[in-house]
Amino acid sequence: MSGALVASPASRPETMSLALLAPLWRFARGLFWLAVVLAVAEGLIVLFGVRPYYVPRPSVVIGAILATPTPYVQGFLRTLSETLLGFASGAVFGIGIGVLFFRARALRELVFPIFIVSQTIPVIAFGALVVLWFGNTLVAKAAISFYLTFFPVTVNTLLGLEGVDPRQEALMRSFGASRFKLLTHLQLPSALPQIFVALRLASALALVGALVGEWFGDTVGLGVLLLQGMYNENVVAIWAAIAVCALLGTGLYAAVSMIEKWLVFWGAEQ
Amino acid sequence: MPVATHHKGSSEPASGAAAPEFPAAAVPPLLDLRGLSKTFGAVQALGNFTATIQPGEFVTVVGPSGCGKSTLFNIVSGLEEPDAGGVVRFQGASVMAADLLGRVSFMPQRDLLLPWRTVIDNAVLALDVEGAPRKAAREQARAMLPEFGLAGFGDQYPSQLSGGMRQRVALMRTFLFKRELMLLDEPFGALDALTRTMMQRWLLDVWQTHKRTILFITHDVDEALFLGDRVIVMSARPGRVKLEQKVDLPRPRPAEVVISPEFIRLKRTLLEAIEEEAMKSFLAPGADGATTTEVR
Ligand SMILES: Nc1ncnc2c1ncn2[C@@H]1O[C@H](COP(=O)(O)OP(=O)(O)OP(=O)(O)O)[C@@H](O)[C@H]1O
Ligand SMILES: [Mg+2]
Repeated sequence: MSGALVASPASRPETMSLALLAPLWRFARGLFWLAVVLAVAEGLIVLFGVRPYYVPRPSVVIGAILATPTPYVQGFLRTLSETLLGFASGAVFGIGIGVLFFRARALRELVFPIFIVSQTIPVIAFGALVVLWFGNTLVAKAAISFYLTFFPVTVNTLLGLEGVDPRQEALMRSFGASRFKLLTHLQLPSALPQIFVALRLASALALVGALVGEWFGDTVGLGVLLLQGMYNENVVAIWAAIAVCALLGTGLYAAVSMIEKWLVFWGAEQ
Repeated sequence: MPVATHHKGSSEPASGAAAPEFPAAAVPPLLDLRGLSKTFGAVQALGNFTATIQPGEFVTVVGPSGCGKSTLFNIVSGLEEPDAGGVVRFQGASVMAADLLGRVSFMPQRDLLLPWRTVIDNAVLALDVEGAPRKAAREQARAMLPEFGLAGFGDQYPSQLSGGMRQRVALMRTFLFKRELMLLDEPFGALDALTRTMMQRWLLDVWQTHKRTILFITHDVDEALFLGDRVIVMSARPGRVKLEQKVDLPRPRPAEVVISPEFIRLKRTLLEAIEEEAMKSFLAPGADGATTTEVR
């Protein structure tokens, strides 16, 4: 990113406005291509006479959403809150545990295997239990989201912290840096690129967790809309729910990527 | 750590050149190293290294590659402990190497700038670590930019700088960490000849205004003579002091000093000593290349 600015006395403010403009431009381009793809899909469906039972025309799906927007908007907001809550808590916990494991080797050897075993349990099996524990609440969905999120974050945090240049650590120590200063001034910033790789993955997983959580019983949410569509064999409703899910997933991923671009502006150079 | 004695100079290897001519009692040495050894597994990097550094002195260290120069700096900066039996005395007191962490200003062989910090923020890194007030530290650094040839570049990131500028930022970081003793490990090693000469003259200016004690590693005999009050030539591994050469060239030293007869005479003495050692380290059975690959 900053490679294009070599030797020009441009500084952060300019780089930042560029960083903010570029995603906007990309967003517009993305919208354009989405419209093209939808138009082509529409054309092909009409051309080959695909039965709406398999794939309805995009215009019909969009029309269905616009005809009764309330459940979709409500579902979107509900699932978004669950996902965000699960994602944020999973990210914080994942980073925290990563740091803890990095600093306390013995603890890591003790607990890490348990984490791995916990991750091999399919989330579906776990979901029933969570609903028992937390009842049919937003927290229950967020908990499942959290469960899917924290582990990749922990692993990558650990990876990033252990990948710090030992010569840079030596330099910091020669300044008399405490272990805390070492962490805040060198190790965490160095690990940020790795951490964000996991956060992008986790943003997608968090949405899966929230949707699955809703299948264990709820009245609002995109997962609920999917289930209702399925029971009523309402193909258009299913596709409409899928479209809104895609919007939510892409939006989250894009948001995480944008924060990454802004925070990890130096890239993974060195 | 063994109890240190106040005996001085007797163990200096006398290979023709004079030991420092400071009157022994007048000024106590800032740094006093006695019988330092350091062994890494099968490799002995340092063997019985003994030297003293007076306050305000500019001492340059030359020696064949792999003779333990960086190892010596790692000990003096507190990052590594010497083998048992070695004595480190700093400001008159016998210390463990680890006690020197935070008390010596160390510039490693690479610039090691942090890519997420601007020039200013990299320069004040040591002050940040110390917990100095941020604003005052930054202002101080900003005021020093012109002196370090970085005027107008304070808010740039390291990836936007040339190699020479990065090196100057690293030097600025070292100078801002105000400690009496500065350790510079081949600071100009990666620079082209022209930039290097400029930087040498500039460093002498800065040293004269900031009045610090400098220990400076280099591969380059001309650089060692041009900069130093005294040159320490190290032997092939295990590194010890092979020769100490006082450099009596008047200061400030003009660029032409390098072609003066006195300079050339000193250079001949040094080159002789270094070549002998370089030959040894080249012919030795566990020569650098072989052992290094084995160790890593
Ligand atoms: N941490 C370490 N572990 C094992 N061996 C080491 C370590 N540090 C240094 N050595 C070995 O000690 C020897 C001296 O290394 P050192 O880096 O001090 O040499 P140097 O004189 O600085 O070389 P150069 O001029 O190439 O920088 C080398 O053979 C090196 O492989
Ligand atoms: Mg070295």
